[in-house]
Amino acid sequence: MSYIKQVITVTRWEFGRFFKPKNEAIGILIMLIVSVVFYFGSKYAFSDKSPEIKIFVHNDTNGGLTEVLKNDFDVKQLPSEQKDSFIRKLDVDKNLVLIDKKEDAIGLYAYKNNRDIKKLKNYIDVYHKQKEMQKLGLSAEQLSLVLSSAPIEESYIYTDNSRNRVILAYFFAGLMIMAVFLSFAYQFTAITGEKQLKITEQIVSAISPQVWMDGKILGITLTGISSMITYSFLSIIGGIIFFQFSGLPISAILDYLYLPSIVLYLPFALIGVLIWNAILAAIASIITDPNNSGKSSMMMLPIVFVISSFLVTREPDSGLSIFLSWFPLTSASSMPMRWAITEVGIWQLIGSFMLLVLTFYSLRKIAAKIFRVSILMTGKEPSWTEVYKFMNMK
Amino acid sequence: MQNTVLRVKSLSKSFSNVKAINNISFTVNQGDIFAFLGPNGAGKTTTLRILLDIIKADDGQIEWNLEGSSNHLPQTSQIGYLPEERGLYLDIPILKSLVYLASIRGMDKTEAKKTALEWLERLDLADRAKEKLQVLSKGNQQKIQFIASILHKPAFAILDEPFSGLDPLNQEIFIEFIKEINKQGTTILLSAHQMQLVEKTANKLLLINKGEELYNGSLSGIYETHGNRQVIELHYKSGLNENSLNSIGEVEKIEIVDNALVKLTFGPNKEMKSILSALSKQEGDFDITSHKPSLHDIFLNLIKSL
Repeated sequence: MSYIKQVITVTRWEFGRFFKPKNEAIGILIMLIVSVVFYFGSKYAFSDKSPEIKIFVHNDTNGGLTEVLKNDFDVKQLPSEQKDSFIRKLDVDKNLVLIDKKEDAIGLYAYKNNRDIKKLKNYIDVYHKQKEMQKLGLSAEQLSLVLSSAPIEESYIYTDNSRNRVILAYFFAGLMIMAVFLSFAYQFTAITGEKQLKITEQIVSAISPQVWMDGKILGITLTGISSMITYSFLSIIGGIIFFQFSGLPISAILDYLYLPSIVLYLPFALIGVLIWNAILAAIASIITDPNNSGKSSMMMLPIVFVISSFLVTREPDSGLSIFLSWFPLTSASSMPMRWAITEVGIWQLIGSFMLLVLTFYSLRKIAAKIFRVSILMTGKEPSWTEVYKFMNMK
Repeated sequence: MQNTVLRVKSLSKSFSNVKAINNISFTVNQGDIFAFLGPNGAGKTTTLRILLDIIKADDGQIEWNLEGSSNHLPQTSQIGYLPEERGLYLDIPILKSLVYLASIRGMDKTEAKKTALEWLERLDLADRAKEKLQVLSKGNQQKIQFIASILHKPAFAILDEPFSGLDPLNQEIFIEFIKEINKQGTTILLSAHQMQLVEKTANKLLLINKGEELYNGSLSGIYETHGNRQVIELHYKSGLNENSLNSIGEVEKIEIVDNALVKLTFGPNKEMKSILSALSKQEGDFDITSHKPSLHDIFLNLIKSL
C-alpha cells in the first residue's frame, strides 16, 4: 500500500471522526441564537429608556446657552427665587438638572453624574468655546472658519485603497484562529486519547509514524478548514441579508470578495493551520496524562498567532511587524495583513510563503519523530531534554 | 524443505542499564506456530516490538521473507499484530473500527466489512457490530482485538499474549481459531506464559528468561531433550516420614511440596520396575501417580539449572 494511499485513508478516518455535520449544524444554530440574543440584548441594554433629563438654566440672560442646548434637550429658564428650592427638589425628581451661569464658572447641579450629564457637558464645552471666541470679536463666519479642518490636498505615490482588503484579511485571520483553536481541541483529544486507550501500538504496527502523523495533521486540519468554509458561507449569507436590510445593493458584498486577496490569503491560511496542527500534534504526543501534565499549557501557544495579527495592524511597517510577517509561526496571518495595509513586495510574499512551507515540512517530520519515541511512554512523560533528543534521533 | 519466513540473528536490546534481550536468535518457517515462552519481563514483548520496527534493536539482524519478497520489513498487509496492551476506539462502532484497521493494512473496505461480519458471526457478536466497543465485556473486547489482528488475512500474525484475559472456555476457542488461520496459510508467532495452552497450540518454541534463551527448537524436541524423565508423585494419606525418602536411591530430584505430597524425578534411563521396587520399601500409606514432565516442569527445571 503506497504512502499516499495510507495517508488518505488515515486523513479520511480522522476527518470522519471529528467533522460531524450534525454537531456543526447544532453549533451554527447555537451561534445564531447567541447572536440574535446578543444583538437584541445589547440593543435593549443600551437603549435609553430612562426619562430624558429636564434642564433648567439659571442666569442665562442673553439666552446663549439655552440656544446651544434647545435642539437636543428639554430646556427652560429658572427664575432666581426658585433656585434654592429647585436644588432641594433634585433629591426627589432625579431627572432635573440645573445649570447656573456664574461670573467665572458654570454651576451644574444634578442627582448624579451619568451618561446624560456627560453628553450635556460636551454641549456646555462648545458653548464655552463659542463665548470665548466671541469675546475676541470673531464673526460667525470667522468662527466657522476657525473651527473647520485644514484644507489639505492629498497626493501619494502609493495608495493602498485597502479598506475592503483589510476587512477580508481580518476575516481570514479570524477564520484561521477559529480553525487553529478547533484543531487544538481535536488534536489534543485524538492523540492523548489514543495514547490512553493504547491504540497507537496497533496503528503503528500497520503504518509508519510519519503516515500516522501526516494523516492526523491533514485530517484534523481538514476538519478545521471545513468549519472555516461553513462559517465563510454563513458570513456571506449574513452579509447579503445585512445589505438587503441596509438598503445597499447585494452586489456590494462582491467588493469585499476581491479575488487577488483570496488567492493570497487562502494558501497562507491553509499552511498556517497545517503548521499549528503539526506543532499541536507533537506536543500532544508527549502528553501522557492530559489532566496532570505540565505540558498541557503549551497547547495555548496559538495565542501568539492571534496577538501577532493585531500587532501588525497597528504599525505595519515597524521592525516587529516585518519580523512577524516572516516568522513562520505568525506569518500566515501577519504577512497577508501587512499586504492589505501597506506596501509589500511580491518577493516578500513568495519568500515568506516558501519559509512557511519549509517549516511545515520540517515540523511534520519532527512531530513524527517525537511521536515514534513517545508512543510507548505511557507511564512516564518525557522531559524537554528527552524531547530534544527525540528530535535529533535518526 | 520448509521456507524460512523470519530469521533473527543475535538480537539484543537494553533499556537504561537493564538488558531486556540478550543475543536472541531464531527462525520461523512458513506454516509454523512458533511460541515465545517466558515469565513476565522475559523480553517477549520487546522482541515482538523490534520485529515490527516499533522500537529499534541495539544489535542483531532481522530478515523477513514473506510471500517471496525479502525485506528488512514486510509489507503492512502481510503482517497481523495483536499487541499485549490492548486498545481500540471505544467510542466508535465496532464494525467501523475493524474496517478501518483492515483498510490501513491495505484491505479493500467492502471485503473488510464482509470478512469482519463473518468473524463477528463466528464469535457470536454479529448483532453488536454497530455498537460501540465500550459496551462490550472485557472478554468480548479481546475477541474484537483478535479479529482486528487477523481480519486482513495476513501471511504472518504476531499475537502477544493472545490468551490473557480470557476464561478457560474462550482460551480453548482461541486455540482453535489460531490453528484454523494457521491451516489457512498464516504463519503464527505468539508469545505467552500459559505453558499448558502453548503445548496445545505450538509446534516450535523459544523459551526465554530475563532476556536469555533457554531453549530453541521444536515442541517434541524439548520433551526429547529435557522431558525424558519420569515424575512420580507420592500422595501421603497419613503424613510423610522424610527420613524414609533417603532409601529411594537413584532419584534425580526430590521435591517435598508439603506434608502430603512429594514429587520424585527419575533420570532418563531409570526403569519403572526398579522405581516401584524402591517405593515399595517406603514407610507410610500413600498413593502413586506418574507422568512425564510437562512444559511447565521443564521450564522450571531449566531456570533452576541455570
